[in-house]
Amino acid sequence: MTADQKITVHCTVNGEARALEVEPGETLLRTLRERLWLTGTKEGCLEGECGACTVLVDDLPVDACIMAIGAVDGRNIRTVEGLSDKLSGEERMNPLQQALLDHAAVQCGFCTPGLLMTLTALLEQQPSPSSEEVEAALAGNLCRCTGYRQIVDAVMAVAGEQRP
Amino acid sequence: MRFCRAHRLEEALAFLDEWGAEGCLLAGGTDVMVRYNNGEVAPGAFIHIEGIEPLSSITTNGQTSVGALATHAKLARDSAITARHPAIAGAARLVGGWQTQAVGTLGGNICNASPAADLAAPLLVAEAHVTLASTEGERRLPLDEFFIDRRLTARRADEILTTIDLEPLPEGSAEVYLKLGRRGAMDVAIAGLAVRLSLGDDGSVITARIAVCSLAATPRRVPEAEALLIGARLEGDALAAAGQALAGAVSPIDDARGTASYRRRVLPGLLARAARQCGEELRR
Repeated sequence: MTADQKITVHCTVNGEARALEVEPGETLLRTLRERLWLTGTKEGCLEGECGACTVLVDDLPVDACIMAIGAVDGRNIRTVEGLSDKLSGEERMNPLQQALLDHAAVQCGFCTPGLLMTLTALLEQQPSPSSEEVEAALAGNLCRCTGYRQIVDAVMAVAGEQRP
Repeated sequence: MRFCRAHRLEEALAFLDEWGAEGCLLAGGTDVMVRYNNGEVAPGAFIHIEGIEPLSSITTNGQTSVGALATHAKLARDSAITARHPAIAGAARLVGGWQTQAVGTLGGNICNASPAADLAAPLLVAEAHVTLASTEGERRLPLDEFFIDRRLTARRADEILTTIDLEPLPEGSAEVYLKLGRRGAMDVAIAGLAVRLSLGDDGSVITARIAVCSLAATPRRVPEAEALLIGARLEGDALAAAGQALAGAVSPIDDARGTASYRRRVLPGLLARAARQCGEELRR
């Protein structure tokens, strides 16, 4: 990439307002990982196929590897680092994260941050999804270890707990 | 490389006049950014148009007018689209995963002019017309004239596709889009088929529209097969003849997803399935 004049992008990342000096053609993924050191978001295919880089932009899951950083000006970004509960300085996993662990839905773990973000968006939109809805939501998140069953089970368990 | 943000159509058109062919329109970015990351495109400027809100509206007034920035997720859920254009709503659900559908736009899908564009087939059976705007004014083209070749459209470098006008599904008609892929998620179509049929009281076909993707250099209508269905009942011989005509009329290629001969072989079966689904829909 040539040394272009930088642009300023104003956005919110995990609740914190940011003014980012970035190259105009860089991706949201590169900004997150290499400028903000938020390395929980993973780089997989770099072409929007695998979902490892999924983050939420204004509550919707997007592949950060094919999202131009300039496109998120004024928008609200959430990454896996923003999911845990921070109680008096002590970080605790949220119920969805804990459910994935409890159901052995994390094996190599590379897809997990992206999966968590897609599932977070799903549960915010649809707190009691059917297993078919969970599978449809995860179409764009590839997991080569689990075969998905444990992931769906974890989501159904956490959704069941939150039912009134 | 510059990043130009347009919040109104006039601003975007002014940027295009300034940058000419060096300006690359950017909406959801799901196609453009892949090509940019790969070094396949190296524009002088991205002209970001995602924030031009009027271009994401869907309105109905006889025809259906869809703003070019309507996302796949919106097409899949919008009540006017699901009621008047069920094949388009269905196709929108089959494009990539949620991440692509959340930001990928109808206008982007059309302008990307992939031979495998899922939405193009159901758009063609809805007689889609596209409106192109420039600082010189507007022009309107049928979608099948907009597609010129693989990844080549009639859009000039100073133009923006603003609106897609569609003919809604008439009373007594049914439509469906069937996609043949490998695993039912994140597929690029091996073959895609949209069919819109209306039937008379005796069950014979009054109007038939058939369009395909992944079976030629551009998505296209197949009048050779349509003609064989008109006046016929949706039964064995007529369907088989139309299926053979369909397979003979297309010009598929061998690629990583399937061979040309495989694509031709599955088409009669796909057409029969689509016709059967339309027939069942109309008997309800």
